[in-house]
Amino acid sequence: MFDFLIAGVQAPIILLMLTGITVGVVGGFIGVGGGYMVTPALIVFGFPGYMASGIDATHIAGKSVISTIRHRQLGNIDWTMGLAMVGGTMLGVELGVRLLNYTKKLGIAGVALLAGSVLVMFGIFIYTQLETQRATKKIQEVTKAGATVGREMKVSKVYKFTQAIPLYPIVRCHTARVVISMWVIVLVGLVTGVIAGFLGVGGGFIRTPSMVYVIGATTHISVGTDLFEIVISGGYGALRQSMSGNVDMMAVFWMILGAMLGAQFGSIATSYVRGPAIRYILSYSLILATTGALLRLIYVLTAGKYEWLSFFAVVFTLGEMLFLCTFIISLVIFSVRHTHGKWVPDWVPPLVLKAD
Amino acid sequence: MKFIFWTIIAALIGSYWLWSFYSGQMVRWYYYTAAFDGYAINDVTFKDASKDKPALLAIGNFEKIEGLQAVPVKKGGRLPEHANGIIGLDILKAGKRAVLEGEQIKVMLPWEIKESKGFKYRDTFKHKGIITNQWSGAWNLAMVIAMGFALGLMAEGFTDMFGLKLHKIKHFEGH
Repeated sequence: MFDFLIAGVQAPIILLMLTGITVGVVGGFIGVGGGYMVTPALIVFGFPGYMASGIDATHIAGKSVISTIRHRQLGNIDWTMGLAMVGGTMLGVELGVRLLNYTKKLGIAGVALLAGSVLVMFGIFIYTQLETQRATKKIQEVTKAGATVGREMKVSKVYKFTQAIPLYPIVRCHTARVVISMWVIVLVGLVTGVIAGFLGVGGGFIRTPSMVYVIGATTHISVGTDLFEIVISGGYGALRQSMSGNVDMMAVFWMILGAMLGAQFGSIATSYVRGPAIRYILSYSLILATTGALLRLIYVLTAGKYEWLSFFAVVFTLGEMLFLCTFIISLVIFSVRHTHGKWVPDWVPPLVLKAD
Repeated sequence: MKFIFWTIIAALIGSYWLWSFYSGQMVRWYYYTAAFDGYAINDVTFKDASKDKPALLAIGNFEKIEGLQAVPVKKGGRLPEHANGIIGLDILKAGKRAVLEGEQIKVMLPWEIKESKGFKYRDTFKHKGIITNQWSGAWNLAMVIAMGFALGLMAEGFTDMFGLKLHKIKHFEGH
């Protein structure tokens, strides 16, 4: 047991390190900070709610630096796109926080927050699931026809429309091979930032699919670029939280040490899979988080009448972390087995690449 | 070489981080000044108080809070050592959780169950009315970024050292 003097909590270091490892794996793989998983976990460990958010935001900034370094080595970062998006995201987050304060004044913040989370996450889940299923089918068709399938496959055509918007300045994102109006990138950052600021999360789970579907980047580049973006926006969040006295730096310390291991595995694991695999995991993380938020929403709407709802919401969120982590590790193992010609389930080959 | 260099840097940053905690600097910066007028306390000392068994805190200008003591503080004033919260004058006036009795503060309700975003939590006097040293925000950020940077490059050096050098992904091959 470690005595966290600032938070006023006693908790085992190993639990914080394990949380860091698990969220590091998931975050490094799907390009999210993982705040929606870490905050409930820290609350379960006994940290006050505001401290949990602050510790989470601060550890995310450090963890994203670790993941960004690895994704840079893998060539998954488009610096132009990331930098263009940062401004929009920061402005969006500020607007989102103001919107939240406004709803608080109206006295509907709690319900609005949870209902907003459920709607946004469920919408993205449905779209990502449908699109990814179609992409996977297409991979199977192309493979049957004897053609080589690349690392990315998507069937959404939304980006063709956005890339045709002739609004200057037009930027050339070399790594992502995207030529697009800078304002589209800024707008994506702004809108996702508003949602993130309003919901009190980092917003990676909205930005990564937005970069894939709206801007037209590949999934791998979206993941890496989003993590780079989180270094800046998360750093700002960490500064704000620290100045508000919501951060116990010793909790952050142990979590970053764990995240160092997890983020390495998660980032490197992206090189074993195709784009649709990452989008599948992203969509599963969304639906699991949505279910947790839905349980809490019902709990709030029923004025805390059913205690078990709150309990299950927390269990669900913690279970989600472990499930996603196991899923990612399984994909890497299957990829290696597939490379060596060993048996893998039928759904695996379209999602993984044969290792070099 | 890269691995050794960044391991040393990460160890130095980690050591400084731990030293800041064990020397008490981190805690002093956190519990820095008062956000409102009231009495600085250490809520751990009376965590088991109840209506039947209230805790009685002696009021005085102590430099360090030891046991059942409370130090009067003004908004913006530095907090005494070991203080981890402030009982505001409004709380004392309401008289539900704590009340002023002569040269003592009687605490009847050290914590209440409250709720936020569907999560129940125990709301205590801890962290109430505390203002953190604003420079510690910049310090926290600098430490986190520096540590992330050092650990990231250390890990990169580790895989390079064992011949696991990762290459850039060919994103557009096979299209």
